[in-house]
Amino acid sequence: MSEEIFKLEKDNLEGFLLYLSQKYNLFLPRRVDDQLSFGQMKPGGKPSLDHYFNTDLPPKEVFFPQRETLLSYEGGEVKHSTYKAKPIALFGVRPCDTKGIILLDRVFAEGEYEDPYWKARRTNSLLLTLGCNAPLSTCFCHWFNLGPFNKEGTDIFLTDIGDAYLVEPCSKKGEECLRGTSLLGATGDDRKVAEEIRRKAESSLSERVEISSLKGRLLALWEEDLWEDISQKCLSCAACSYLCPTCHCFDIQEEGSQEKGERIRIWDSCMFKLFTQEAAGTNPRPTPKERLRQRIMHKFSYFLDNLGEFGCVGCGRCIRGCPVNLDIREVIKAVKSFIVESR
Amino acid sequence: MASINEQLREQARKLLADKVVDLIIGYRKGSLPLRSTPYLVKTEEEAGSLIFDLTSSNNLAKYLPRVKTENRGSKIGIVCKGCDGRSVVQLIIEGQVKREDIVIIGVPCEGVVDTRKVRKKTGGEEVLRVSLPVLPGSGGREIMVEGRGFKITLDKEEVLCDVCLGCQHPNPPLYDLFIGRPREGSSARDEFKALEEFERLSSDERWRYFEHEASRCIRCYACRDACPLCYCEQCFVDETHPQWFGKGPDSSDTLIFHIVRALHTAGRCVSCGACVRACPVGINLNPLWVRIEKEVKERFGYTAGLSLEVTPPLATYDENDKQEFIL
Repeated sequence: MSEEIFKLEKDNLEGFLLYLSQKYNLFLPRRVDDQLSFGQMKPGGKPSLDHYFNTDLPPKEVFFPQRETLLSYEGGEVKHSTYKAKPIALFGVRPCDTKGIILLDRVFAEGEYEDPYWKARRTNSLLLTLGCNAPLSTCFCHWFNLGPFNKEGTDIFLTDIGDAYLVEPCSKKGEECLRGTSLLGATGDDRKVAEEIRRKAESSLSERVEISSLKGRLLALWEEDLWEDISQKCLSCAACSYLCPTCHCFDIQEEGSQEKGERIRIWDSCMFKLFTQEAAGTNPRPTPKERLRQRIMHKFSYFLDNLGEFGCVGCGRCIRGCPVNLDIREVIKAVKSFIVESR
Repeated sequence: MASINEQLREQARKLLADKVVDLIIGYRKGSLPLRSTPYLVKTEEEAGSLIFDLTSSNNLAKYLPRVKTENRGSKIGIVCKGCDGRSVVQLIIEGQVKREDIVIIGVPCEGVVDTRKVRKKTGGEEVLRVSLPVLPGSGGREIMVEGRGFKITLDKEEVLCDVCLGCQHPNPPLYDLFIGRPREGSSARDEFKALEEFERLSSDERWRYFEHEASRCIRCYACRDACPLCYCEQCFVDETHPQWFGKGPDSSDTLIFHIVRALHTAGRCVSCGACVRACPVGINLNPLWVRIEKEVKERFGYTAGLSLEVTPPLATYDENDKQEFIL
């Protein structure tokens, strides 16, 4: 990759975003009703970057909308739906969420089963990741060997150095994109400032918990009482799943009549009782205990089996959004420290 | 005088030691500032972590039916502020729990903090440390919140939940023991003041308000799942034979979900606000809940959860009920 690092003055951000929006369908952090999420750039619109730590909703919805039409039919004619607009660019996505998108690539685009809907949006898309100068106390990306300045999977990496961003191409796509701009190179001093910011952010992270042995622990503790204790307060809602940048389960539904209608897919969650409800009336995950265990097992055990990595990126949204303060870090700690009583 | 927390822990230990209860549903300190977390206490040692303060925001009555099912034959203690206590009364009336199976530990509530209001006050900056006034009735109203590069003092009235600002029932209507002294009813507060502005809106404007709020809904059902009165074995939104309506985030579907839930809890809802606090996207349908509560009060002279003796209006029929809306 090129060693060149550029500098984008914040005064020129609008022009840079305009440039991006000519080539791309541009999404950026937008605050609506005090809620931050990735929204489409409107003409003259600006990203909400003041007091921006991370969006409340994860950016997965840009590539994996909560509701998506798969096909529509009318009078015997069937139309398959595919994303046809300009390629998508995400500006200001945080490193944890970029990693989340990379993990979902593995699920939807690189595995045994290809998902044409994910691929249609993701192909040729551009990720412009913004480093985290001030990680939140709920951030725990470092548990997964990520960090506030992790560049994995991104096309362009930005560091906020005050009046400007340092802009670093990290992929061919990123390089090509920047070639069309008139950005100047960053100075050695700029790089030093960025380096200092990175060092400060990394040292501000909370205590790191070692999780390399977690999978083995989880498998050994499958049947222990621990899960009853952990799940006691769980309401079994889907706030955690829907706020999660890597949860990706979905349901397929038919809407309409025999004559006219749509086949859609919508987000679903293993936290719902209905998720495993069987036609015979039985349910293999009848209580919050089995459901919460499933979600934890998927993130920290099955994901490893299937894709070789943890399915959590430590963004902390589930911690901030859980209505009963069921903190996933505490679940991990409880699993690590649980002592099996001999029977 | 010992603090509420000290008294609560002592009483809880005693209840467990004397085998008056087998377990206690309460709160302990949460993992985040301004958050407590529901806590099921089974040992005297665990009782030492119980708390009750301005962060005790979950409605613990939610857990009663489930804890009862999972611990058959057990006697359950439950820490109840006013609205939790009213929900317990509703659950008893509706046959979900038996009065004799539970021991209600009343606590004097001074309201609970709305973390979204605090987030607004800090301009979105993260709160890292807080100091709360000590309950009860210390007269202290100041909440100090601190984060990276700021330290501000808030008057608790500025950041209490909307429903707390109109609360008339800070103490549970029914209790077996009370921690501290029951609070004076807050007659100074106007129960339906928060509605004044809302009621001035035209029906079109009100509709737009509801549509706007519901448009953010992600269908996670945290509101339903946090509600102590949403205990249906199968919620209407989960019906599949037939499926009543769409399951996606279209506002026509989300709005129907919220409105039907509101109608289903009419005359039962105690306006605890647990649903609003549970929402991860900040949907505020308080005006709908409170307006329905007002309607029930005006039409039937009924306030949910105050007495075991009065039959709820939607569970009975009276020839003299107003019915001018029928024709």
